[in-house]
Amino acid sequence: MVSMDREVRRQLWRLVFTFAGLALLAILLGALLSSPDLGVTLGIFTTRFLGIFIEAVPFLLLGTVVSGLIDAFVRAEDIARIMPRNPAAATGMGAFLGFAFPVCECGVVPVVRRLYTKGLPMSVGVTFLLAAPVVNPIVLASTFVAFGVGPVLIGRFVITIVVAIAVGLVFALAARPQDVLRPNSVLVPVMGGSGDDDGSTPTADQALGLRAMPGAVTVAAGTPRPSLLAGLRAALSTAGDEFFEMGRYLIIGSMLAAGMQTLVSQDVLLSLGSGPVVSVIVMQILAFVLSVCSTVDSFLALAFAGTFTTGSILAFLTFGPMVDIKSTLMFLGVFKRRVVLYLILLPMLMTMLIGIWINLNLSL
Amino acid sequence: MTNHNHDHDHAHDERRTMTIQWVKTVILIGLGLYFVYNIISGNLANYINERFAWLSYVAAALFLLLGIYNLIHILTAHGGAHEHDHAHDHYDHEHATLTFPVLAIVAIPLVLGTLIPSRPLGAEAIGGTLSTTAVTGANVATFTVSPEQRNILDWLRTFNSIGDYRELNGQPANVIGFVYSEPAFDPETFMAARFTVSCCVADASAIGLPVRWPGSLDLPQGEWVRVQGTMQVGEFRGDQLPILQATRVEVVDQPAQPYLYP
Repeated sequence: MVSMDREVRRQLWRLVFTFAGLALLAILLGALLSSPDLGVTLGIFTTRFLGIFIEAVPFLLLGTVVSGLIDAFVRAEDIARIMPRNPAAATGMGAFLGFAFPVCECGVVPVVRRLYTKGLPMSVGVTFLLAAPVVNPIVLASTFVAFGVGPVLIGRFVITIVVAIAVGLVFALAARPQDVLRPNSVLVPVMGGSGDDDGSTPTADQALGLRAMPGAVTVAAGTPRPSLLAGLRAALSTAGDEFFEMGRYLIIGSMLAAGMQTLVSQDVLLSLGSGPVVSVIVMQILAFVLSVCSTVDSFLALAFAGTFTTGSILAFLTFGPMVDIKSTLMFLGVFKRRVVLYLILLPMLMTMLIGIWINLNLSL
Repeated sequence: MTNHNHDHDHAHDERRTMTIQWVKTVILIGLGLYFVYNIISGNLANYINERFAWLSYVAAALFLLLGIYNLIHILTAHGGAHEHDHAHDHYDHEHATLTFPVLAIVAIPLVLGTLIPSRPLGAEAIGGTLSTTAVTGANVATFTVSPEQRNILDWLRTFNSIGDYRELNGQPANVIGFVYSEPAFDPETFMAARFTVSCCVADASAIGLPVRWPGSLDLPQGEWVRVQGTMQVGEFRGDQLPILQATRVEVVDQPAQPYLYP
């Protein structure tokens, strides 16, 4: 049941991905071939594409290595243990937990799923889920490299924290994890890398998930910590695979950004990008579709910064890390359908309104 | 790796996994070597602001680390073919096992980087009109720079911060840029242009200084030139602007750093 479900999602995902890729390729090829001087245009496109890739890829690599290390060495129990017991304090802390455990949007969902089985309060998990992909040192560094200290860097962090806490508090009203989690999601062993996951842990997790008693942590069997060498090897292995998984979004996103800069006329871009409302919606759609990892999306945003409003750039940099195609697919594997809808709509509406408000009221 | 179809041809699966592992390793090491080549050849300056060159050192090191780790992994895992899958036995990252389309996409930068000669953005990349005002304001350093030392960006910043352009009349100038002209330009005028790059070429924007030179029409678009002369306010594109009255224009090699860093 579980594996079939995952298989279906995987197929669906592959289909979406293939279509998006083919469509993009067709558009790019068509535009390239119709340009008057193919060689020159291809050269400019390549320079722009490689520029984004070369500037972004170190951050992607750092992100995957850190993610591999966390995967190998940090257990959900460790995170559960350091959380304050007071739900309000824990929610606030959830927004900043990414500084201790830098995970991007693809790494965060399984960690949160595991944390819920350890009795983490609902609101804390949601806040952590939405904030961690942005509020962490790697994204701080890459956003700084792209935009320097200024409205974009500050706005990105402030908006993310505010939205994440707000949505977390909304979910606090929805009460306990078992109301929002898919019943079988807790069956899936999460923290990978150790062989005994398939054995006793799932049943323990199931029991925990159904009861979801605070303080049930002590009941957990607990994953044994791997030895240093085995852990490092697992981390490098995970990092290598994850580089390819994440790299493809970066590469497709960079090609789109470079293609847009090279092939679409400045007037068209300005007409799309200067409307205070339209620009925000366009950038949100792009953020959702491109699914570029939060560690490197700043460099794509940079390509739009010249022609698009600041509010729309901020919407791109805050909404994208919270919700995109790949995180939606992962949400669907963990949360009930109705909850996924809220997890998409609430951040979307909040970042949209904030983006539009910034465009209308601030001159940045 | 979860094997859903146990009735699958096992030997075939093994071979496919092995091929994917090899392709993966080749791409990782290839990307590492591509970064090393960019650093050594100086091509890196065509893509990013040199302030962030160290990031490429990090990338080169990490690519080679991951690539060599994978290589050792493949070479040592020959005996127990099943054992080598163990390390990426994750459920949590929704890792579909790597497929050939994914590998192909990640190979794109490597292919484009090797096949297409590395060139900085030039005159052809200027889409709209070229700006004669620098986006970023002047800093104090600009004014302590003597006029002959100013590059095109310094000059535009000086224009921005000065009340009356005529104060600049008669100042000597000596700048390097590429030739940019539009059909609408006066036949004796061209622009000495540069791209400014703060982070990488994604944020590149073109700036230029109008130059009056009788031989403007003979200068090929995009050619790198050194222009020497004096500033004199005149009319350009309908505006009153300081114009560089050239006394000497010589063709030079493309500078090692094609972009100016604001």
